[in-house]
Amino acid sequence: MSLAKSVFTVGLLVAPLFAEPYVFKPQQRRWWAIQPVKAIAPPALDEAGRKWARNEIDRFIYEKLKAKEIAPSAPASRQVFLRRVTLDLTGIPPTPAETQEYLNDTRPGADERMIDRLLASPRYGERWGRHWLDVVRYADSDGFKQDDTRPNMWRYRDWVIQSWNDDKPFDRFIREQIAADEIYPGDAKALPGLGYLRLFEDEFNQAHIRLRRLELLNDVTDNTAFAFMGVTLACARCHDHKFDPLLHRDYYRLQSFFSNMKIDDEATTASPAEVASYEARLAQYRAAAKPVLDKIDAFLAEPRAKYKKEYIERFPEEVQVVFHKAPAERTPMDWQIYHKAVTQVVVPDADIVAKKLDAAGKARYKQLLAELDGYQNLLPADLPRFQIMRDQAIASPPTHVLRAGALDADMEEVAPGNLSILDPEPAAVKPLPALNSSGRRAALANILADANNPLSTRVIVNRIWHYHFGRGIVPSTSDFGLMGERPTHPALLDWLTAQFTGPDGWSVKKLHRRILLSATYRQSSDFREDAAEADTDNKLLWRYPRRRLESDSIRDSMLAVSGLLDPTMGGPGVFPAVPAGTEIQEGRHWRKSRGPEDEYRSSVYIFARRLVRYPMLQSFDTPLAFESCGRRQETVTPDQALELMNGQAAAGFAHALAKRVANDSGQTPAALAERAFRLTMGRAPTAAEAGRASEFLSRQTALAGGAQGALEDLSLALLSSSEFLYID
Amino acid sequence: MAMNNQITRRALLRGAGSGLGSIAMTAMLAEQGYAGVRHDPNVARKPHHPPKAKSVIFLFMEGAPSHIDLFDPKPRLNELHGQPMPASFGRPITAMGTAGNTLMGSPREWKQHGKGGIWISELYPHIARHADKLAVLRSCQSDGLNHAGGVGQMNTGDILSGRPSLGAWVTYGLGTGNKNLPTFISMIDEREPFGNAKNWGAGFLPAVYQGTLFRQGPSPILNTKLGQGDTDERQRARLSYLAAQNRDYATLHEDDSNLEARLRSFELAYAMQKSGPEAVDLSQETEETRELYGLNQPETAVFGRNCLLGRRLVERGVRFVELYCGSGSGWDAHSKLENNHKKWCKASDRPVAALIEDLDRRGMLQDTLVIWGGEFGRTPFNEKGDGRDHNPWGFSMFFAGGGVRGGQTIGTTDEIGLRAVERPTHVHDIHSSILWLMGLDHLKLTYLHNGRAERPTKLGGEHMVKELWEG
Repeated sequence: MSLAKSVFTVGLLVAPLFAEPYVFKPQQRRWWAIQPVKAIAPPALDEAGRKWARNEIDRFIYEKLKAKEIAPSAPASRQVFLRRVTLDLTGIPPTPAETQEYLNDTRPGADERMIDRLLASPRYGERWGRHWLDVVRYADSDGFKQDDTRPNMWRYRDWVIQSWNDDKPFDRFIREQIAADEIYPGDAKALPGLGYLRLFEDEFNQAHIRLRRLELLNDVTDNTAFAFMGVTLACARCHDHKFDPLLHRDYYRLQSFFSNMKIDDEATTASPAEVASYEARLAQYRAAAKPVLDKIDAFLAEPRAKYKKEYIERFPEEVQVVFHKAPAERTPMDWQIYHKAVTQVVVPDADIVAKKLDAAGKARYKQLLAELDGYQNLLPADLPRFQIMRDQAIASPPTHVLRAGALDADMEEVAPGNLSILDPEPAAVKPLPALNSSGRRAALANILADANNPLSTRVIVNRIWHYHFGRGIVPSTSDFGLMGERPTHPALLDWLTAQFTGPDGWSVKKLHRRILLSATYRQSSDFREDAAEADTDNKLLWRYPRRRLESDSIRDSMLAVSGLLDPTMGGPGVFPAVPAGTEIQEGRHWRKSRGPEDEYRSSVYIFARRLVRYPMLQSFDTPLAFESCGRRQETVTPDQALELMNGQAAAGFAHALAKRVANDSGQTPAALAERAFRLTMGRAPTAAEAGRASEFLSRQTALAGGAQGALEDLSLALLSSSEFLYID
Repeated sequence: MAMNNQITRRALLRGAGSGLGSIAMTAMLAEQGYAGVRHDPNVARKPHHPPKAKSVIFLFMEGAPSHIDLFDPKPRLNELHGQPMPASFGRPITAMGTAGNTLMGSPREWKQHGKGGIWISELYPHIARHADKLAVLRSCQSDGLNHAGGVGQMNTGDILSGRPSLGAWVTYGLGTGNKNLPTFISMIDEREPFGNAKNWGAGFLPAVYQGTLFRQGPSPILNTKLGQGDTDERQRARLSYLAAQNRDYATLHEDDSNLEARLRSFELAYAMQKSGPEAVDLSQETEETRELYGLNQPETAVFGRNCLLGRRLVERGVRFVELYCGSGSGWDAHSKLENNHKKWCKASDRPVAALIEDLDRRGMLQDTLVIWGGEFGRTPFNEKGDGRDHNPWGFSMFFAGGGVRGGQTIGTTDEIGLRAVERPTHVHDIHSSILWLMGLDHLKLTYLHNGRAERPTKLGGEHMVKELWEG
C-alpha cells in the first residue's frame, strides 16, 4: 500500500521510515492525567460531615475543607436553589408558577422531581448543547474572505441538541462525531454527527491547495486534541511539546487519522428507497424538460468550458497536473488535491453566467430559465442534505512529521496512532472495503470512547463539573497538561469518572443528578470572611460560586420572563434584526428579520456567521468560532451597559415585559412592582425594594410620558440588574 | 500570595468606597497573572520602556497598492517590459496563477523628494511634500497569498483567524489613554474589510480589548443613541434606580468585584453617549482645516473626514486608530491598474498629507506614529494585460512621526520589485517595531493561552526595524 510507495518516493536516504521509539523518562510517565482512573472509595466522614453531606461528592469535598479547617456553607434557600438549578440546566429562570409548585412540594423527593422535570425540558438540550458547540467551534459559515454560508450546517447543531436531550451515552456521542459512517453505516440518526469534522474555517478560493489542506487538517487535529483529549497538542505541530510528554510525531499520528477525508456537502439521511424515488422523479423532470435543458447546455457549453479551463490554469502546476491525469493514475494525495480544487472549477451555472456572460448573454440565460418554469412542478424537493466529512477511499495518502510544521518539510512518515505515552504502537486500523473507507476514524473513535482512556473520560466529566460550578475540578478544561492547572480534587474527579463510565453507562444526565443533588452544589453563595482567609479563591468549594450568566442565557432569560420566548426547536439559523452601522450589514451578512419567527427564538438558533456575531451575544462574551472554547470569558464593559441602556433588543424585551406585568396584575404601583419582581427575580421584593420601585413608577410617569412608559423603564432596569444576570 | 490579593482587594474596596478602587485593583492582579481575574482596559498601564509614540494612526490601503508604482521605482523592470520573467527571479505560486505572464513596466514619472531624496511617483504629489517626515520601508514581506489572509496577518499577525489584532495587544499592554472613548477605533470608507471584525478583534484575549468600529454619522458608537421617546432626564432617572438596585446587590456581595465594576460600567457608558458624538462633531473645525483634508471635494471627502477624525481621536487620547482606505479591497488592481490607482491615490493623497501636516503643526506628530500600507504589494508581471497580481514577497510601507526618523529609505527589493532582497522585513518585524515605538517589548507582551505564553509576533518579530528610530 502507500507505505511501499512512499519509501520509493521520499527515499530512504532522506529520512528513516519510522523513527526510533521515544523513551519517556519516569518523571514524564508520572503526569497525573495519564494515570489510569482509580476507583477510589469516598472518604469517611466525621459527625459534622455526616450531618452536612448528601452524597459521595460531598465526602470528597468535605475532606479537603476539613483539612483546612473550613466548614462548608449552609444550604441556599429553596427558592434560590430552584433558580440556580433552573438557570443551570435550562438557561432561563423558573416561572412564578414553577416556583410556587416547587415550594409547595414538601413531600420527599421534591428535589429529584424538580431536577428530572428540568432535565426532561427541551431547553436543557439547547443550553447544554450550546456548551458543546463552544468546544467544537460551531459556526454556520466558512470564515476567511467570503465567509460563505454553510446552508446545512445547522443539522449538526440540531443533532447536538437532540443528543443531549436524549441523554445519548457520551461514548456513542464521541463515536458518531468522529466516525458515524464507519461505525454505524446507514444509521440516519448517527450520520449528522460527522458535521463535527466539517467545522474548520475554510477558504474556498485558495489556489495553494496543499497548503490549505494542511491548514484544514491542522485545525481538525488541534480541535480534536482540545475537545476530546484535553491536551494542547497544537504545541507539538512544530516540535516536541516543551512541557508535556507529547511528541512532535504525536501531532501527525493524530492528524493521519483524518488525512483521507474529503468534504461531502451532499450527504443525506434519506433511506435508499427515498433516494431511489427522488432520483426517479428527477429523471422524469429531466426527460420532460429535456428540450429546454438541452438548449441551456448548448448555450452554456462554451462558457462552462472556458471557466473551467481558466480556473484550472490559475492553479499552480502541481494542481493542474492532477486535473490532467487519468483518474486511475491519481494517487491518494492527488485525489486529496482534486477534491479540494474541483469545487473552484466546477461551479453552479449562476456563477458562470455572472462572471462570463455580458448583459445580452445574461438576458438570454434568464429567458431560458423562464422556459423552465413550466416544469418546476415536476422538480422533486431536494432531500435533506448534511455537511460532513468522509473518506475519499480506502487508501490514505502518507502523513509525514513536518519540520517546524511547514508544508513539504517532510521528516519521517507516521501511521495513525494515539499519544505515544499512552500507546506508542500504530492504532489498530481495519480498512472497510464495503464502505470504501479507510477505517482510520473508527479506530480513533474507539480510542477516544474507550472507558480506559485516562484523558477523554476525565475531560468530559470535568467539563460537566465546570459548567455547573463555573470552574472545573481542573480549571483549564482543555489543558490537562503541565501548563494547565492541577485538579483541586483529583480523587473526586476519578471517582466521578469511574461512576460515569461504569455504572452510569456514560449517561451525562446521571452525572448532572449526582452533582445537583450534592450538598456541595446546594451551598449558599454568601461570602464568609473566615473561609475566604483560608481559601481565597473558593477552590475547595466552601460556597457556591456566584457567576454571571452566559450571553445566550442572558438573552433567553429576557425573552422568557417577558413572555416572548418561542419554544420552536431546530431548523436553519434565524436572523434577529441588527442595528444599522455595525459590522453586520443586512443583505450581505444577514437576512432581514421576518419578525417574531426570527426575533424570539432561543439564542442557540441565531445564525452564527464566523466573522460577525450577533452584537448582543458578542458583547456578553460569546466566543469566536475560530478555535475551541472550553471556558468562556466573563467581562464587564461599557458596551454591555450600552446594549442594555439603548439597545433595540433590550428595549423590545422591556416593552413586552411591561405589557405582561400590566396585563396580569393590579394597577397599583405596589402590585405592578411585585409582579415585575416575581417574574424577573423569582421572588417578592423586600419592603425597601417595593417602596423604591413604587416611588420610581410614580415619579417616572411624568418623564416617560405615562404609566406604560414608567413600567417599561422599571422592566428595563430589572432586566439589566445584576441580580437578574447572575446565577446565585 | 493569593490570600494577600484577597485581603488587599477587600481592603481597597472598602477604602476606596467606589467602583474605581476595584477597577484599579483587578487590573493590577491581572499583571500578576492572578487566575480568573477580570480584565479592565479602562486604566492606563505602564509601558515596558519609555515610549516614543503615544498613539498610532494606521492608514490601511486595503486591496494592496502597487509599491512599484508608488515608492519603489524599477528601471530594469521597464527595460524587461513585455518579456517573460527571467527564471533567476524565482517563480512564485500566485493567487491568480499569473507568474508565467510577461513583465509589465511602470509608466510612472519618478522624482526624488526632500533632503532625503525619497523616491515617490507622481501619483502622490501632496504626500511627496512631506518626504522628509517619511521613512519608507521597501522590503516588507507577508505570508498572505490572498486578501483575507493578508489583511488578517497585517492586523493580527496570522493569515488564519483567532489571534488578537495589533490594536488589541496595544490595548492589553497599555490600557486606556482617555476617559470616555474606546482605546482602539477602526473606521472604514466603503465596505467592510476582508476578514471583517477579526481585523479589530481581540482573538483569544478577553473581549474587553477588542477595537470598536466607528460608524458614520453623529453617533459613532453602537447603542449610544437614546431610543425613541427616551430623554436624557428619563434615562438618568432610570439609571439611578438601576444603580440603587445594583448597589444593594453589590453591598450584599461586597466580595465580588465584578458587581462593583458593573456599576461603574454604566457610568462609563453614560459618559460615552456624549463623548462619541462630541468626537465626531466637525463643526468645531475651521474652514481651512476642512479644505486641507479635502472635505470639500467629493473624491477626497470620505477618507479626508476619517483622517480628520483620526486626528481628533488621537487628540482625545485614543491610542490606536485604524483608517481603511478602499475598505473591501479597493486597491485590488488585477486589471486596469491605471484607473484603479489614480482613483485611490487621489482619494488618499491629500487627506494623508493633511493629516501629517495637521498633526505636525499641532505638535502632535512627535507622539503620533502614522503608518501607511496595505496587506501586500503587487507583482511585476501583468495580469489581464493591464493589472498586477498579489505580491506578498516584497512591498513598501511608510512610517512618519512617533519617533521615526524621516527622510530615509530602508530595505530594497530585487531589480523587478518581486522579492525583498536587502533587509527583508516580515509583518511580525513590522509589528514588533510598532510596539517598540509605543513602549512595548513584543517578547514581554504575553498572554497565557492554551498552555502557551502567546505574544503578538508568534515566533517572529526579532528583527525590528531599528533604523526607523535610530541614527
